[in-house]
Amino acid sequence: MKKTALLICFIFTFGFGFSQIKSNEKLVYTASYNMSGLMTQLAQVTMNTETIKTSKKTFLHLSWEASTFSKWDNFFKIRDSYETYVDPVTLKPSLYKRNIYEGGYSKTEKYIFSANGKSINSTTKKRNRPETKKAFAVGGATRDIISMIYKLRTINFSQFKSGQSASFIIVFDEKEYPVYVKYMGIETVSAGVLGRKQCFKLSIAAKTDKLKGKDKNLIWITADAAKVPVLIRFSIPVGTGQLLLSNASGI
Amino acid sequence: MRKLYVISAVFFAVLGIVFTILPLGTIAFLPIGITLVLSSLAIYQSKFNQQKLPKIILFISVLTFLVVIGKVIFVKDVVVSDKQFEQIKVESKKEDVKDLEGL
Repeated sequence: MKKTALLICFIFTFGFGFSQIKSNEKLVYTASYNMSGLMTQLAQVTMNTETIKTSKKTFLHLSWEASTFSKWDNFFKIRDSYETYVDPVTLKPSLYKRNIYEGGYSKTEKYIFSANGKSINSTTKKRNRPETKKAFAVGGATRDIISMIYKLRTINFSQFKSGQSASFIIVFDEKEYPVYVKYMGIETVSAGVLGRKQCFKLSIAAKTDKLKGKDKNLIWITADAAKVPVLIRFSIPVGTGQLLLSNASGI
Repeated sequence: MRKLYVISAVFFAVLGIVFTILPLGTIAFLPIGITLVLSSLAIYQSKFNQQKLPKIILFISVLTFLVVIGKVIFVKDVVVSDKQFEQIKVESKKEDVKDLEGL
């Protein structure tokens, strides 16, 4: 019942939105982790978009890559890749892949969404374990985490009132999670390479133990047509950190 | 009191060395700064013939301080090209296109 309500809410909120995501957009972030009150630069995160054509369809390939800076590689090497192939207009995912390597731990996941988006065929492989395949049902509006972030950028937040929320349902680790995005108003922040920018401040909440605190997971996206995420602050069980835009092209 | 300063200074000096080796950036200044203060206090509290160890600790803290400054100035935050990771990406993309053709 709760899921149905969320689904209806989602359809009415975003169902008629159009994509504003351009192909060949590249956003580079510096990821920092809070250690004893000081931010230590740990990794580089790159968000890319690219058009991929098959014989039948055109897809927008959205990818997120995280790589630790070389000085960290000998201590805790991270090479994470999250990617999704979506419809260029609706941003509905068709194929999602996650390939993570974090300090010796590795995991790969592949989700193939059915045409109506109501089921997923997943293939998962964890380090030293055999590959497992599973098919499971999901709600028609369920999307992966990457397409959710991009979908967020298509929402017209200027029509939102402070405190108003939008909701999504995402699939992660073969489970569905409702995600709530609360609009917290407009703020002018230091947007890294873009200088000081007026931004929509958004708070992300999900019913998962992977995110901690109330209004501690925040995204600032520019209050212009490009809606570029310039600053992301996160609070996870092992600490807090941030991602700050360090380079941008194709926006 | 002198003993407490010396023991604490040794502890923070070791911590400072570990932080200097690890890529923790300016965080290393915390234990190094504490070592500088504690070793200076230990020298002040020591008789002339007892000053050798606190002076060594002070020297180590100054040295680690300079190493951290050097690292902050000269070691840039870069991601090195990872051939294995790049190869996985290329192969993965080929596989993705095959999967997408079947949809």
